[in-house]
Amino acid sequence: MQTFLQYTILGLVVGGVYFIAASGLVVTYTTSGIFNFAQGAIAMLAAFTYWQVRWGWGWPAPLALLLVLGVLAPLLGAVLYQVIMKNLRGTSEVTKIIVPVGVMLGFLSLATWIWNPTPRTPRLFYKFFGANATVKIFDVRLTWHEIIAFFLAIVIAGGIAFLFRRTRSGVAMRAVVDDPDLLQLNGGRPERLATLSWAGGAFLAALAGILITPIQGTAMSANALTLLVIDAFAAAMFGRLKSLPRTFVGAIVLGLATNYVIAYFPANKWTWTGAFRSSIPMILLFVVLLVLPQDRLRGATVLRTRERFRMPSLRTAWIAGLVLVVVVWALRTIMATTAINTLAYGITLSIIALSLVLLTGYAGEINLAALSFGAIGTIIVFHYGISGTGNDARMTLWGILLAAVVCAVVGALVALPALRLRGLYLALATMAFGVFVSRMVLTEIGERELFGIKFSIFQGGSLTIPRPEIGPFDFKSNDSFLMLATVVFALMAVGLVSLRHSNYGRRLAAMKDSPAACATLGMSVVRLKLSVFMMSAAIAGVGGVLMSAQLGSVNLDRFDIFLSLVILLLTVVGGIGYASGALFSGVLFGCSILAIQNTLTKLGSDYKSLEAVFGFLVSAVSVMPATIGVTMGKNPSGAITDIVESLEGIKKSKPLMLTMIGLQVLIWALAWQGVINNWHFVIFTAANLLIVPPLGGAVLKNMALKKAGVEPPVPPELIGIDRPFTDDDRLAIEHALGLDAVPLPVSAPVHHQEEAAHAPA
Amino acid sequence: MTIIEPSGNGHEAPRPDGPHAPPPEHTLDEPPLLQLKGIRAAYGPIEVLHGVDLVVPEGSVVALLGPNGAGKSTILKVCSGLLQPSAGEVHLAGRIVNGASADQLARLGVCTIPEGRGIFPNLTVRENLWMATMAGVPLDHVEEVAYARFPRLGERRKQLAGTMSGGEQQMLAMSRALAVNPALLLLDELSMGLAPLVVANLYEIVAQVSEEGVSILVSEQFARTVLGIAQYAAIVLHGNVTREGTPEELEDELSAAYLGS
Repeated sequence: MQTFLQYTILGLVVGGVYFIAASGLVVTYTTSGIFNFAQGAIAMLAAFTYWQVRWGWGWPAPLALLLVLGVLAPLLGAVLYQVIMKNLRGTSEVTKIIVPVGVMLGFLSLATWIWNPTPRTPRLFYKFFGANATVKIFDVRLTWHEIIAFFLAIVIAGGIAFLFRRTRSGVAMRAVVDDPDLLQLNGGRPERLATLSWAGGAFLAALAGILITPIQGTAMSANALTLLVIDAFAAAMFGRLKSLPRTFVGAIVLGLATNYVIAYFPANKWTWTGAFRSSIPMILLFVVLLVLPQDRLRGATVLRTRERFRMPSLRTAWIAGLVLVVVVWALRTIMATTAINTLAYGITLSIIALSLVLLTGYAGEINLAALSFGAIGTIIVFHYGISGTGNDARMTLWGILLAAVVCAVVGALVALPALRLRGLYLALATMAFGVFVSRMVLTEIGERELFGIKFSIFQGGSLTIPRPEIGPFDFKSNDSFLMLATVVFALMAVGLVSLRHSNYGRRLAAMKDSPAACATLGMSVVRLKLSVFMMSAAIAGVGGVLMSAQLGSVNLDRFDIFLSLVILLLTVVGGIGYASGALFSGVLFGCSILAIQNTLTKLGSDYKSLEAVFGFLVSAVSVMPATIGVTMGKNPSGAITDIVESLEGIKKSKPLMLTMIGLQVLIWALAWQGVINNWHFVIFTAANLLIVPPLGGAVLKNMALKKAGVEPPVPPELIGIDRPFTDDDRLAIEHALGLDAVPLPVSAPVHHQEEAAHAPA
Repeated sequence: MTIIEPSGNGHEAPRPDGPHAPPPEHTLDEPPLLQLKGIRAAYGPIEVLHGVDLVVPEGSVVALLGPNGAGKSTILKVCSGLLQPSAGEVHLAGRIVNGASADQLARLGVCTIPEGRGIFPNLTVRENLWMATMAGVPLDHVEEVAYARFPRLGERRKQLAGTMSGGEQQMLAMSRALAVNPALLLLDELSMGLAPLVVANLYEIVAQVSEEGVSILVSEQFARTVLGIAQYAAIVLHGNVTREGTPEELEDELSAAYLGS
């Protein structure tokens, strides 16, 4: 009984803090329609800042609280809305999810940048009034901190309910979601209300962060603290992001469940108790999604978005795929082994990103845990897809195919409960799956026995995955594996483009635009979503298997949910509608960021006096993916769209294209023969790509015109200066002004105008 | 001398004293309540208004007529401040109000009932009325006016507005127009998707509001209903006001506007 009471009361306290975090989510979601994935990161930042002010600088608690909760947190929320979230109106659900995710990743790297993750003395975060200020309630010893936390939760619950029901500003906040334009026509100021609500949401996140850090008693780690508040998502889902009373119930259930596990699942008897406890919020999130009622199908009016993707033709796709293989082959000949390995890693990541192009770019659904499917695939291959041992071990083709099939089935199981719901819920289901895999599956490192069968899922915490051997081809060497990965990527990309051009692909596009219209046409939206999700999971699984084979051995850090988020973020930045967007994402994440950081670090060690500057730049680069991610609201179609548009000019002019290719081959040949080193290769290539097109374009244009016997055109403002003004020029100007239909009485134009004004119409 | 009528490109100056402009007694003494001068407006790269001139004299009902996609709703959006014109001037009681946001105009006495139902579906009836008070009238007054005119709303004050019938929703929207006592009322496609009886009922209310001295600009596809209460009408075609005048003067033009062109 004593145990029960103790853990019930503690569960209520933890539930209370979950509620505070979840209510912040509800507040921002109801007013701006944006699910704030950064909620956990804001809580984490606040906890760190509070620690810095309170114990780092030794301020008194009230002053520190005032600074963090009263000033910094609301300010952060308001600035977030004004600078970033405001631009998300009229973008697709994907962008609305990706941008807050970008903010979250940015805050994470910011925190590890400012607060060294491995400090010399551990950061200690104490409870209010210290751990010894306790009272006894029902024979249970409670700290004042815990009591304060619980009562704050109740006060906040009442406060928000009052705000939303009984104050005009609160009702107006709900009105903003319905129709911001109409609220404006009523005389309200939607922008101001949304800013206010974001400030409030950030305040609640910060409060939750400061309250929960000492209760959990964990060391202050940015990732762990962020995930702690993400657990509150389950509570928010419980209330369907709308109802506060239900959110409260959900939070309390969550708090109690996690604490009862500690109480009644003895960790000394079952080794999985710890993992199970930390997975409970995600399991609960999943269960909640299962029981939520079906979402109403929506028509096109809500989905009129700013993203635009033009599908390349199948021919273009084949050419692009071939060019990619040739380019990688050429690069391979001049690269060092480490560089080849890095590039191969990048390309395997690109394959994983390709799964997102299919799912998100084509079908408009979201998977936040692509790498977790990669983890499943890797586990399958490890257990069933390896022949031979030691140095002769090879991955078999059957192993890869089996991995793909299993991933598809797991994908179906994950997606099934959320398919009836809108994209956001599927995204959250995949996130729950990803966290679950990280916390529960990848921690299964010991041997278990079930029904007499002995097995260990993630043996020893690190799996050794060999390179594949397919038929007569052995891909053990780094070179051959790079080519394998590239060819697989190219084939899959072409396959996706042809899929998009097929009947099935058109149905996907239709579903993305208007699920309601699809349903009325007799399509089964659920079956379509399910099939595309399974396909995407299979691709992610194959990509993950190849990634593991490239790395040789993998541990659970390689499949972290945050890495999945970075890949998705970068694919969206590149252009989620294109296979090239996936390549952009994988190569940027797998190679470029690493390469830039290595270069900067090397420069730092070469020029000791500037080491601090280069160190700063290294950290700055680590924030880079997040920074470009948050600008997506302004350019939701991605970088590839811009690149493709700039390539149009080159494609049109054959001589220019041939010149560029010729120059590039020459540069490559020089590097291959060792005449120039790789640094020069990079510089020359950049010059060829960036400077030749505009320069060559202008030269060629003039040449072509001269050839045809036409003088290059003189800009209109220079006519009459560079060459005499002719009758043709006058006609051209009149035509441009729309005056050619008007017979001008040249003798008296002024008089004519006056008459026109007075004449009867 | 042959003079070619401005071809509707909108380059030309407005015609302030053409024969179909409103009678001079409104324009000479004091500025009209609402005046658009050479308004051009665009959605992204597509220009939909090519130089619209329009006058709403104090205390009158002006009807904007024209087929689908002619630009009627866009004109109302410009007037209400939801869409900023790319060129031209919007005058409200003689003051240029270009650049004023919709909420500023609302607090200055412009009440707009937008196309569709001008209500918040996830708010209760009473909360919807509460939002109307942002224009500066107390809630008690809004509720009193609304429930007196539409007793049905009084019965349903706790019901979510989105769950009511189309006619009831339009009543809720109109009660805002009744309660806030605006200087200018902008109505967009009041009849959309409603039964003829309900429409007739709604226009009775519009006429009543007009008798209280409120100037009204109303857009409507179905000309007959609105011409009964309008003093002036303007035909909008392809983003231009092609004709203005009293309803009688426009009688013949109307069929041409809808069928021809």
